[in-house]
Amino acid sequence: MSAFFTLWRRELAAYFLSPIAYVMMMFFLVIMGFSFWLLANVLAQGVEGVPLMRELFDSFFFWITTLTLVPVLTMRLFAEEKRSGTIEMLMTAPVSDTAVVLAKYFGAVAFYVAIWAPTVLYVLILRWFSPMSAPPDLGPIASSYFGALLIGSFYLAIGLFCSAMTRNQIVAAIVCFALLSVLFFGGFIAFISRVDTVREVANYFCSLAHMREFARGAVDTRPVVFYLSGAALMLFATVKLVEARKWK
Amino acid sequence: MENMIEVKNLTKRFAGCRAVDDVSFTVGKGEVVGFLGPNGAGKSTTMRILACYLPASSGEAKVAGFDVFRHSLEVRRRIGYLPESTPLYPEMRVDEYLSYRAALKGVGSRRRRPRVNEVKELCGLTDVGRRIVGQLSKGYRQRVGMADALVHDPELIILDEPTIGLDPNQIRQVREVIRNLAPKHTVLLSTHILPEVEVTCQRVLIINRGRIVASDSPDRLRTRLQGGREIVAELRGAKGDVAQELYQLPGVTRVTAEAVEDWTRFRIECGTEDIRPLVFAAAARSGWTLRELRQEKQSLEDIFAALTRVEQESK
Repeated sequence: MSAFFTLWRRELAAYFLSPIAYVMMMFFLVIMGFSFWLLANVLAQGVEGVPLMRELFDSFFFWITTLTLVPVLTMRLFAEEKRSGTIEMLMTAPVSDTAVVLAKYFGAVAFYVAIWAPTVLYVLILRWFSPMSAPPDLGPIASSYFGALLIGSFYLAIGLFCSAMTRNQIVAAIVCFALLSVLFFGGFIAFISRVDTVREVANYFCSLAHMREFARGAVDTRPVVFYLSGAALMLFATVKLVEARKWK
Repeated sequence: MENMIEVKNLTKRFAGCRAVDDVSFTVGKGEVVGFLGPNGAGKSTTMRILACYLPASSGEAKVAGFDVFRHSLEVRRRIGYLPESTPLYPEMRVDEYLSYRAALKGVGSRRRRPRVNEVKELCGLTDVGRRIVGQLSKGYRQRVGMADALVHDPELIILDEPTIGLDPNQIRQVREVIRNLAPKHTVLLSTHILPEVEVTCQRVLIINRGRIVASDSPDRLRTRLQGGREIVAELRGAKGDVAQELYQLPGVTRVTAEAVEDWTRFRIECGTEDIRPLVFAAAARSGWTLRELRQEKQSLEDIFAALTRVEQESK
């Protein structure tokens, strides 16, 4: 267990020691800042009865950032260690493969949370400037963040898996982006299919629909189970992939 | 002596080739053993198997009584391993890196700092603790790798080419460090530089094409392979006489002469008996002026060449 924390701390620190992290953080905050500006515009027009959080969490910008952010955050996790050979140092230390995989995964999740953390400021600003009689509803805000974390935790697990497949970071990022795109755009079947059963099945994995619900303030257990079990499956697959070196 | 490493019929196949072919050897506790072989002989592969990084295709390997495959964690707790190219995280500082590795290898948080300082001093890293690993020279990086291998005070230390890329002074320092480890720790180091083993190792394992071709102390290997001695004597005297007299000495099989300035150098091949005193006595008796009398030492290099050549011819 202590090995896990040692590894986890290094993984998280490694993000802050590389320039990619800061570039992505800036990219993310610029886009989220723009989304917030749009949200403020909606408010300024005095529209009522709109789930506000959809501007932040259910916009085109939210998805384009999530789909590009995740591959960039996860591509180096295993690929870089394999390329530089540090994987040999890591795997000959007395730590289990599972601990390594989990530490890398939770390091990525922690950094994902850290990237989101500054947006809490938006909520505080909203609160500050809204009239006392009509404060922003905290429920949907909390559920939106929860939804972003859930989706992130599954997508990051997919990214980790892709990184463990190759020693080339670019390949890892592209494969991850492709898988995420298939998953995300595949979910659109939920909107376009004419067959009821197909629509219903697609609803189970349609991230767009899930996020829309979360932004509305509705936490359904079905997506919660879907994302957590999805993440667990990808982590399991990653552990097996790392162990596979011992089967040859 | 108790065995630290036991390797039995170890074989490792990669696609299309046998990197390690039915290798068996043991290393006793406290021994410093050199693993010697040309590039691609299977040294690194064997070491990687011992360090639990690669699995063997067949055969077994035990470290301190634990099987490297079944009890991999127990084995890894007991070894310090320095891989061939010394991979390190370039973005970390030396202190950070060593204390991270110490924590990973289970050095308690209280012991960690003094222990890191100890290995830093041992490996000559005291002045570079705050430097970033990626900016260090090759020699310093190599020493960081050494410090990393030693940081948890392991019973067995496996070093893959520990002196590659170092300048002569640094090589001397590294050798010093290795020699100081000897009684307390067991060391298995690989190299393709021959003088290296002669100065640091008590025993040499020569490996070629995945097979162990010899295993002995450097000195014994020498006498075993040499068969006879060669003695060189430089002197002045009537040429024909000298050769004739030298042939009279016991065990002499061949004498050749060559001129060096106005001296004559005789190469005397003889049996295992040391006939240098007899050569001297003969010179004294016949009134030759003797300016040099020595026994030619066959270098480990020759032995190595002989062993690996034989192996190649038999294939």
